[in-house]
Formats: sequence, structure tokens, C-alpha cells
Amino acid sequence: MTRWGMVIDLERCVGCNACTVACKAENGTPRETFYCNVLEKTVGKYPTAKREFIPVLCNHCADPPCLKVCPTGATYQRDDGIVMADDAKCIGCRACYVACPYNRRSFLRKELLKRGYYGELTPYEEKKYAEFVPGTVVKCTFCEHRLAQGLDPACVITCCTRARIFGDLDDPTSEISRIIRARGGFQLLPEADTDPSVFYVK
Amino acid sequence: MQTALPIVRKEMIVGYRLQTEWSWLIATAFFFGKVGAGLFAVSLFMGYPLGALVGLLIAEVGKGTAHLLYLGRPERFWRVLFRPQTSWISRGLWGMVAMAVFGGIYLILSAAGVTLGTVPNGILMALCYAGALVVMVYDGFVLSASPAIPAWQSALVPVLALFYSLLGGVTLATLLSTLVTSYPPDREPAGYLEVTLIVANLILVAAYVMVMADSAPAARQAVREMVRGSLAFLFLGGAIGVGLLLSLALALYINATGSEAPIIILAVTDMLGHFLVFFILLRIGLYNPVY
Repeated sequence: MTRWGMVIDLERCVGCNACTVACKAENGTPRETFYCNVLEKTVGKYPTAKREFIPVLCNHCADPPCLKVCPTGATYQRDDGIVMADDAKCIGCRACYVACPYNRRSFLRKELLKRGYYGELTPYEEKKYAEFVPGTVVKCTFCEHRLAQGLDPACVITCCTRARIFGDLDDPTSEISRIIRARGGFQLLPEADTDPSVFYVK
Repeated sequence: MQTALPIVRKEMIVGYRLQTEWSWLIATAFFFGKVGAGLFAVSLFMGYPLGALVGLLIAEVGKGTAHLLYLGRPERFWRVLFRPQTSWISRGLWGMVAMAVFGGIYLILSAAGVTLGTVPNGILMALCYAGALVVMVYDGFVLSASPAIPAWQSALVPVLALFYSLLGGVTLATLLSTLVTSYPPDREPAGYLEVTLIVANLILVAAYVMVMADSAPAARQAVREMVRGSLAFLFLGGAIGVGLLLSLALALYINATGSEAPIIILAVTDMLGHFLVFFILLRIGLYNPVY
């Protein structure tokens, strides 16, 4: 059985946010809506302070809390582990949004789809926004439309330092599994007990 | 050395992220649901159909309207009925449906003067209480079942919901019986119950704060916000000072003197405190830092 996952090398990430932009370009998400982005954290004190970059996205948890709290069944999990949100069933209660320990859901307020990044909608925004249902919650799908074509997610392809590796967590010979084994891959907020499919190495 | 992490909203930095999606409208829905179900249950217990009717209307119309106004796709609300096996929101709607159906039957029979046999009446009452109980506590379970926000992850939250609901119910039943004197419940036990419930809520709130102050980092940060931060005025002044302490003083005064005039003020202070407690609970929803 395939379980899609990602490993992110924090040593390689330079915080360029190319993944953030690639994701937005691929999915055409409106303002305030980020399926993936890069968080910054300052560690240490002057003169030895440094900035760390932590790329985040939906963790496609094996035990997703967003799925349990969804009152309509709009949130579901595919056999390959990808957690999806069905906008035909979503009522916009935002229980999933609140339940996600990683805060990786976005709510599409109606007004977000009426105005583009620069005022009036561009032809691209017009086309992409038409794919969204206002008043529903949206999230990263690991670019499932790209996976269906045998392609990696947009954030992985675009990463200029190859900080993101995508692959099958259930295949012990896959590059992602080897990296996690060799470098002690860890998950965010393990205490949430959600078993994320996104791992990090340092 | 670890730098203290800030409270953040949408900023792209690591910190205690504040949940901003559930706010005053959800707090309003919680408030109407608990107060309405509490009044409904207390009125059933006291054999006070007018109170049960008002409670039912507050819960069904007030709570229902607030929820529908909040939903992104309100026209699909019926879909909530399909996941009671995992979702407390779904269970809550089932509770509201049960309360509406069985409460409605109870009220129609009461209005028509029909008296059921002991067993059918017992079953009807049990179903009414069951529906009301679900509506009273499910908000608490919605919050406590969320693994993301440590300040909500406490068994005390549903207990708080239950006790605030009962307190609201007793207060409104007393107010209603004072304003509409045609069919009052027994005022004296209600007065003692009021005092007992206010003290119980005071203890529960204190216990909640103490438990959270010794819990996960985000919960500790939430408590700091509540007692020393931006919400201190609302929490200490509004929810505790006005909602519980002033209400307690008024309830004791009413019990001692039998005076009816302060009952309206008591209802206002109690309702204000009730709303504020759960509004603040939503406002302190902080996620643990992801890294």
C-alpha cells in the first residue's frame, strides 16, 4: 500500500518561499489562503542569534483529527493517506480548521474570491477562483492532480535547494524512507498523536 | 538559548498561534444553547411548561440562528446529522432535534391537558432530558475533544458547560416566574439551588484555571492571557466579578430578604458572566508552537 509523504530538510531550506509561491500559482489560491508556507523562528541571542525556516503544509496525518471532528464527512482520507476536503459536502463550520494542531486549513470567505491580489480579478484568478466553492474550507492535497499524472507536488518541484523530498513512506527502499531512517526524521508536534506523513530532518 | 515565543495570528512566524475562527457568533450559539437547554430541563423538573417553552425557543431559535449565520454554507446544515459516530457537532444537532421533537410533544400534551400513563410519561420525560443534556454539554465536548488547543483539552470544560447551563436555567426560570406570576415554580428551593450552582461554578472555574496553569505551554500561555493579559479585565472583572461574585451576593440577598426586584439584575449579571466565560474560552484558544 502506498502512503504518500514528504521529508523536509531544515538544513537545506533557505526560506526563499519559492514553495509558497509555487503552491499559490499551482492551486490559484486567493489572498490569505496558503496551503504551504514557511514559518520563521529566531533562536539564540545577539550576537549569536540566527533565523530558522520551517516550511509547513498539511501533514496528511495517518490519524487526522480534522477527519474525526468533521460533522458532514466532507473531510476524508484516501487509501494513499492523502487527507482531502470535499467542497460539495463542506458546510463551513470550521471544526476541522480549529482541530488541526498544525493550523493548516483555510476558510474561503466569500469576499476573498471577489477581489484578486491586485484589485480586479486577473484572467488567471478568474479561472482559478471559479474552481473554489465560497464558504468552504480548503487545504493542501499534496497536489493530487499532479500525482495522478505521475508528477511530484509543485512545492517539491520548485524547491531550489531540494529541501523537499516526496515519496512513498510505506516503501522502505524509497528515497524518503531512506532519508528518514538515516537522518532520524521527526514529525511536528508528536504529542498530538496524529502520526503526520510530513517528516523533518536537520 | 530559547527565545520566548510570541502569540501570533496569521503571521508567518513560529509562536502560540491564536485560533480566530470561532469567536463571538459561536460564543452566542453556545450561550443560547446552554441557557435554553438549561431552562428547558429545569422547567421540566419543576413542572413549569412556560419555562420549558421559552427554553426550547431560546435553544432552537437562538442557537440555531447563530449557527446558521456562522456557517459558510448554511443551506447544507442538514448534512451535520450524518456523523454522530465521531463528531460532537453532529451529536449536538441530534440533541437539538430530540429536544425539539420530544419537548414539542410534551408542550402540546401539557397545553391540551392530556395526561399520559406513568410509563409513557416517564419515557417522554427521559427523552426530553436526554436531548437537553446533550445540548447542555456538547459544546464542552466539541472543545475538549479538540487535540489542537491545550486550553480546551480538559474534562472540566464539559462539566463547566453543564453547570453553567443549569445555573442559567435556574436563573431564567426564577426570572420568568417572577415576571409571569401565573404559574411560578417553588421559589425557595430554586434560590438555594441558584446559590449552590454559583458556588459550584466558582469552584469549577478556579479548578479549570489551576489545572491549565500546570498544563501544556499553550494552555499556560492561555491562562496568562486570562488572568494577566488582554483578557484579564473581561475574565476577572466580567466573568468572575460580575458573573459569579456579584451574582452570588445578589442571590444571597434575594434568599435572605425575599425581595423580587434584584432578580432582574441577577439574571443580567448571571447571563453576562455565562456569555463571557465561554467567549473567553474561545478567545484563549492557542495552539502549541509547531516547532
